Amino acid sequence: MIEAKDITKSFESGTLKTNVLKGITFKISKGEFVAIMGSSGSGKTTLMNVLGCMMKASSGSYVLDGVDIETLNDDQLSEIRNKKIGFVFQAFNLLDGTSALDNVLLPLVYADNYPADAQKKAEQLLEAVGLDDRIHYKPSELSGGQHQRVAIARALINDPAIILADEPTGNLDSESSKELMNILKRLHSQGKTIILITHDINIARYAERIVYLRDGKIDNEEVAK
Amino acid sequence: MKVIKIAHVSTKAILKHKLRTFLIVLAIVVGIATLTVIVSLTQGANKLIMKRIQNFGPDAIMVKSGGGKMRGPSTVDSANLTKKDISDIENIEGVKFVSPFQIELDMPVKYGNKFTASWVMGVEPDWKDAWRRGASRGEFIAYSDNEQLSKVCVIGQTVVKELFGEIDSIGENILIENVSFKVIGILEKRGQAPAGSDFDNLILIPFTTASRRLMNQSLYTSMLRVVIYNPTEAKHIASEIREILRRNHHLAPTVEDDFNIRTAEQVTKMVKSTSKTLGVFLWLIAIISPIVGGIVLMNIMLMAVSERKREIGLRRAMGAKKKHIIFQFLTESVILTFSGGIFGVGAGVIIAILISLLGKPISISWQPFAIAFLFSTFIGLFFGVYPARKAANLDPAKALSQA
Repeated sequence: MIEAKDITKSFESGTLKTNVLKGITFKISKGEFVAIMGSSGSGKTTLMNVLGCMMKASSGSYVLDGVDIETLNDDQLSEIRNKKIGFVFQAFNLLDGTSALDNVLLPLVYADNYPADAQKKAEQLLEAVGLDDRIHYKPSELSGGQHQRVAIARALINDPAIILADEPTGNLDSESSKELMNILKRLHSQGKTIILITHDINIARYAERIVYLRDGKIDNEEVAK
Repeated sequence: MKVIKIAHVSTKAILKHKLRTFLIVLAIVVGIATLTVIVSLTQGANKLIMKRIQNFGPDAIMVKSGGGKMRGPSTVDSANLTKKDISDIENIEGVKFVSPFQIELDMPVKYGNKFTASWVMGVEPDWKDAWRRGASRGEFIAYSDNEQLSKVCVIGQTVVKELFGEIDSIGENILIENVSFKVIGILEKRGQAPAGSDFDNLILIPFTTASRRLMNQSLYTSMLRVVIYNPTEAKHIASEIREILRRNHHLAPTVEDDFNIRTAEQVTKMVKSTSKTLGVFLWLIAIISPIVGGIVLMNIMLMAVSERKREIGLRRAMGAKKKHIIFQFLTESVILTFSGGIFGVGAGVIIAILISLLGKPISISWQPFAIAFLFSTFIGLFFGVYPARKAANLDPAKALSQA
């Protein structure tokens, strides 16, 4: 499903060059639930951006679902993000003033074909995350935990190959965090591939496998109990 | 399908950011209203000029007594055209006929206890053909009237209004400088002369009566209207007339003309040169003000883009391509300027009508509408491209991590 080989990423500002990722190699198979653990500055956000096709690596190769990402142009990267990746962000990133339903439908605005049953599908997804009575609520009328559940429904609308969750519980209280992780766990049990990026070991333990990232390199791997 | 969905995103953004929308639309409204007002004023002025030239007649050459650059007709006081001048001009090839007339400006006219001042012209019956203008009611001046020095007159609509109001004027007697004239007809309405005077404040009397009884000028004629067969020969015939008159008047080569010749072409030039300078200036304003509106648009859209970086980053993460982002913001710009254009034309038309109430000629046709819609769309595209491209070229990852 995911094959990263010797990925590096460096940023240049003026004459200063910062190497953030220093050769990362790993594989994630279909249906896996993997947590990438690291403290801030370990490069996990950059790794997420590379895995999410938001930016290209400086060197190395990244194959996602059989597609060599490093050979794609900007438009093709957009298509990959649209079709194969479902994002869940720490800051939720819902469009304000827009109903939960329309937020869930957002990726379909940019999809090549808009399924006829899109609306029904979005309603089902919202139902699956327990928001069937909040379909027409706007973000300002929803709690943090509900925000993130809308975001998960949005991530699923395109049937993506992977779900990429970047600190999804970072802005949630422990109760909502628990609920959210259980939703992710359930999705995993339904066969979704999930990559979870976090600094919190308690959150990471929901995954089957934990990859430890330190200073731009993979430090250690561990299979969770 | 995708296009409609993204356009829908644009309209939602427009409705959501009300202050921003208001400011941009206002800026465009001011610009387009200015453009509309100026277009309708300019067109109104041009229409008036064209009408005046039409009144002059493209197949006519006017010969006035007296030299210099005086505009308007020359009166009997300066009359110096002789019977020989007239018959010589009539013999030029291409000349159909010559209609001589005497003219006196602002003569006192009286009917009952009402007074007015009008131009009085002593004319031959062929005046009717020379000016393509006869009596709309009653009779015109006849040959017999000229032979008998009849004291009859044909009066213009302004005179009718001033002296008679609702009363039927035909058959009544009016006093022109205390000489009594019987009204036998009413002239067709004509409007303004090229010089701007009222062509309907006019009284026609027989040429002979004017020369001998009223104006005391039996030797010379003050003005001639030369009618030619072919308007394209006007220039050539005008120069022949000049030669003849200089010869007949025994003018030495260094002496200036003691007469004045005007063709329709010259009249056109004369009127146009005055309106041209003003026209260029107005057009400059007309074009600059919508452009200023466009600059306002660009500023506000640039601000909108930096305020909405997060949204842009999110859309990119969700799979929006650069072109989708460009389309979204460009659509926003164009909808804003286009609605500014609609309101601007509306405001402009209202202002133009108000101006016309002050007596200025305006013309409201389809052109200002077409210009305003095209121009406002163009401004939305032109000044919207840069902000839209800026939005599209944001780094998705960075835009999304904006606080």
